Amino acid sequence: MADIDTKIEIPEELKSTVSLSNLDFLVEKLTKVVDNLVDPVANWARSNSVWPLTFGTSCCAIEMMSVGMSAFDISRFGSEVFRATPRQADMIITAGTITRKMAPALITLYEQLPEPKYVIAMGACTITGGMFNDSYSVVQGVDRIIPVDVYLPGCPPRPEGILDALLKLQQKIRTESYGERRQRKYAQTAVRHVDYDTGLPVETLQALVEEAREEMPPAASNEQKSA
Amino acid sequence: MTEQPEAAKSAELPQEIPLGPYGQFLKDLGIGSTRLPDSVGTAGKVETIEIDGMDLHQAMKSVRGSETRMDFLLMVSGVETNDTWDSVYHLWSYEDSTKELVVKVRVPKASVAEGKLPAVPSITPFWPAANWHEREEYDLLGIKYFGHPYLRRLMNPWDWEGHPLRKDYKQPVDALNDKNPHSMR
Repeated sequence: MADIDTKIEIPEELKSTVSLSNLDFLVEKLTKVVDNLVDPVANWARSNSVWPLTFGTSCCAIEMMSVGMSAFDISRFGSEVFRATPRQADMIITAGTITRKMAPALITLYEQLPEPKYVIAMGACTITGGMFNDSYSVVQGVDRIIPVDVYLPGCPPRPEGILDALLKLQQKIRTESYGERRQRKYAQTAVRHVDYDTGLPVETLQALVEEAREEMPPAASNEQKSA
Repeated sequence: MTEQPEAAKSAELPQEIPLGPYGQFLKDLGIGSTRLPDSVGTAGKVETIEIDGMDLHQAMKSVRGSETRMDFLLMVSGVETNDTWDSVYHLWSYEDSTKELVVKVRVPKASVAEGKLPAVPSITPFWPAANWHEREEYDLLGIKYFGHPYLRRLMNPWDWEGHPLRKDYKQPVDALNDKNPHSMR
């Protein structure tokens, strides 16, 4: 085991936020050993069960719905069902224009996906901004806010195109190594945890709510509970 | 949100247009109005009147009343012309679908101080249908409806700077939007 390189690369700007214990190095060593044995099997299993997230912001979502229906049937390729929560999904198909108002929500959804997670940028709007490229409110390419694995051009792409993108993504999953992916995990960016209504950071807002709760007279709160 | 072509037409038409039925109705109640060249609606020509902002509440309440029954607020829109900010109200009647009325409040740009927003009274307190329309106008065109219960941006994020549908709006170039630095917008 001594000859195995146990260097874990952390980006410079994140070094202050990440602390590595001996356990991390142990896991890293084990991963290096086990990777070669497990990766082909794990990747094969993983690539055949890429469950997408229900995420559609405009007309591409119609094609995305179509590909889930029986005529095209994305579940033939292992993308069994569209999950309504990111905790149960492996992939986002960003189907539709991403506006500046939607961008923080999309980042949050991406961060909530469990590793390993993948993104298919579907349609012209999410690749470059599309015909809304010159607009004041549109993000000019979803790859500016989250990392993208497969680009799928079209306006909107045909359902067959989505299946093709999925097959390309499966190829990518089969050739990747878990160890490499684990190292890239540290490169994630932080989310803006901001309340959209007030514009305050969520932590500040929670502190304010706690403060208000403490100030509330106990009798009044009891009455509210009984009511 | 679209600019209407009346401004171009008004130069050709005679300046004094006699008051229409709604203008006369308001005049009888002591509310002054100016008739503008008719707009085109679903049922042909539509009477278009301009009133002073201070008379807006009284006028809207009056035409909504039992006599004229313009009881459906189709939309509130905003127009930026070269020298005014317009707030435009389209009214329609449930009783008679051929009845339509367009009410305009024009705020001259010269009367708006530097760094201030043009102000128009809000009709939301007695006509809740206008709530989101007025918020949209505030968001995109920067018309301030005073008396509105919750005048907050509707479409753009809360931290947006400026009002994007104004003629003089320039989109700042940032990480999300830098592909066309020399664009016309």
